[in-house]
Amino acid sequence: MKLKKNRAARRRSSVHRSKLLPGDAVATGTQGLRSRKGRTLLTAIGIAIGIASMVAVLGISSSSKADLIAEIDQLGTNLLQVQAGLDTSGTASKLPKEAPAMVRRIAPVEEASSVSALKAGVQRNQYTDDSNGLDVLATEPQLLSTLEATMASGRFLDAGTAGLPTVVLGAVAAERLGISSPAGAPTVQIAGRTFSVIGILNPTPLSPDIDRAVLIGNEAAGKYLGAEVIPTAIFIRANPTVVEEVRQVLSRTVSPAAPNEVSVSRPSDALEARAQVDQNLQNLLLGLGAVALLVGGVGIANVMIISVLERRGEIGLRRALGATRSHIAVQFILESAGLATLGGVIGTALGAAVTVVYARQQDWLIDIPAQGLAAGIVAALVLGALAGLYPATRAARLDPADAVRPG
Amino acid sequence: MRRANRRSSADGEGRAFSTPPRPGLSNTVMELRGVSKHYPGTPPVRALDEVTMSVAEGELVGIVGASGSGKSTLLNIIGTLDRPTSGQVLIEQTPVAELSDAGLAGLRSSRIGFVFQQFHLLEAATAVDNVATGLVYQGVRKGLRRSLAKEALEKVGLGHRLQHKPPKMSGGERQRVAIARAIVGDPAIVLADEPTGNLDSQTSAGIIDLLRRLNQDGSTIIIITHDPGLAASLPRRVTLTDGRVSDDNVSAPVVDEPASDKSPAWIRGTS
Repeated sequence: MKLKKNRAARRRSSVHRSKLLPGDAVATGTQGLRSRKGRTLLTAIGIAIGIASMVAVLGISSSSKADLIAEIDQLGTNLLQVQAGLDTSGTASKLPKEAPAMVRRIAPVEEASSVSALKAGVQRNQYTDDSNGLDVLATEPQLLSTLEATMASGRFLDAGTAGLPTVVLGAVAAERLGISSPAGAPTVQIAGRTFSVIGILNPTPLSPDIDRAVLIGNEAAGKYLGAEVIPTAIFIRANPTVVEEVRQVLSRTVSPAAPNEVSVSRPSDALEARAQVDQNLQNLLLGLGAVALLVGGVGIANVMIISVLERRGEIGLRRALGATRSHIAVQFILESAGLATLGGVIGTALGAAVTVVYARQQDWLIDIPAQGLAAGIVAALVLGALAGLYPATRAARLDPADAVRPG
Repeated sequence: MRRANRRSSADGEGRAFSTPPRPGLSNTVMELRGVSKHYPGTPPVRALDEVTMSVAEGELVGIVGASGSGKSTLLNIIGTLDRPTSGQVLIEQTPVAELSDAGLAGLRSSRIGFVFQQFHLLEAATAVDNVATGLVYQGVRKGLRRSLAKEALEKVGLGHRLQHKPPKMSGGERQRVAIARAIVGDPAIVLADEPTGNLDSQTSAGIIDLLRRLNQDGSTIIIITHDPGLAASLPRRVTLTDGRVSDDNVSAPVVDEPASDKSPAWIRGTS
């Protein structure tokens, strides 16, 4: 009964207008894809490669950045470093001897340790030379805790060993000197005197100078090398909430007479900057991904043009069934967009998978930006729609009488 | 409805034979008035030359002619897939020249059903979905579309093949699906272009029987054919020669009773 009424209503309507429901438009647009699964998949792969490479570039660089930021957080951003700069005549200045003590008087300073560069070379033994680029630094036992450094082996200087001919090696220094452990009492020569190695530090990312240093106690420096210990750098751990404030008063505190000759830095800033330096490389890789995507888009346009030629009969039939030119255009644009979106989905999944595998390999944190995934799919959709414009226009312009003709 | 046995006859001067227009006849579903179609070239091709004819509701007409006589051009013009160079085409009294391309599409979607020699079925779709495609551009919802498609398939004797796809069907069955698709929207005219051109003689006979039965149930059907034997079996034959109507005769009454009394409500579109 309902059907009959519906028919009667349609028949009575004097104005005939073609109408394609939105759901039917989508179904019609994806019908071609569903009926040619092999071709659909192969064409989608073109887009998938482009999207996958872009998502992987974003994911990998974001994971690497996330890892670096986690490392920075772990090392702490409250470490400050004061160094003697250059005076107005351009010669290297020195920090006042009492500078470390003055710095410790700043209330939010939790800890401060100084190091003093000695003009001495270090040799593995008397038969080797000292052109190994290593510095000999005199320091205090609390340097270890100020830097929050850890020992790879052995122990650090303490009140007792700081006055004895003993050294602690930075990670790089130990490697260059060919000493992997204090076991077996290895020794090094500093200014012709023998020092026993009592410990080796793990790498200290916030103070790479320490990695390349051979550390001896301030007391021993005076006693065995006859050096006057004048601080060349002070490491400071400040209260994390007021790091900037401490930083601002440091130069004036250290050298009230010539604050300009003192340089104050925050080592974590350098690491943070490193997180940004690979931006150029990332842009280059993204550019390559975009080229791949473009090639994929041209592939889709090509396949769609072939599809229009192959499906003249179907286009003619649809025109005969009442499809307007716009209905035909919409069908092919949706088909092209659908094809590209499929590629986009495959590509995003692939890119995410590559990121996960690579980040795991590098032991990084996995960070895949959600907006990157969404952008991948949207980019594919837009590209597909654009690629489909020309084929769709050709399909819509087909003369229906020609299209239904056999052959 | 009664139809005259002879519509017109050739005049003594050997001019093209044509049926006179029948303006004002309320049950005329299709009318051509001096329709010509010329294609430019040297010399220009006159595919149709001053064709005047009309088809009334409930008729079963064969348009017959040799290859190149203008049959397909005529079908395209009646089906509004093409426009004439000159002359007037009226579908249910609507002059199609006044309609835009979208307007013509709208007219085709609801008032004209097509049956093609090559069936033009969607290979990946089932019989029901193929038939339902005939209603897609009328904006009919999927559920209703499918129930109407099932009815139409039952009507053409394919009630048992609803879920079969064209590659699994014989030529005759495919053409039946195509016929079901043409009638599912209850159009004013069904245009069949060489509907038996790809079929063997036995299957062809079945298809012609089906079209005849649908006509008896009230459908107005125009069959284009180059086969004189097939044409001879139809109640009215319009012969095209070189783009002109050279003969138009009715050999036997098609229906004795008004179609509206005999045909079921389904096909009359009334409840």
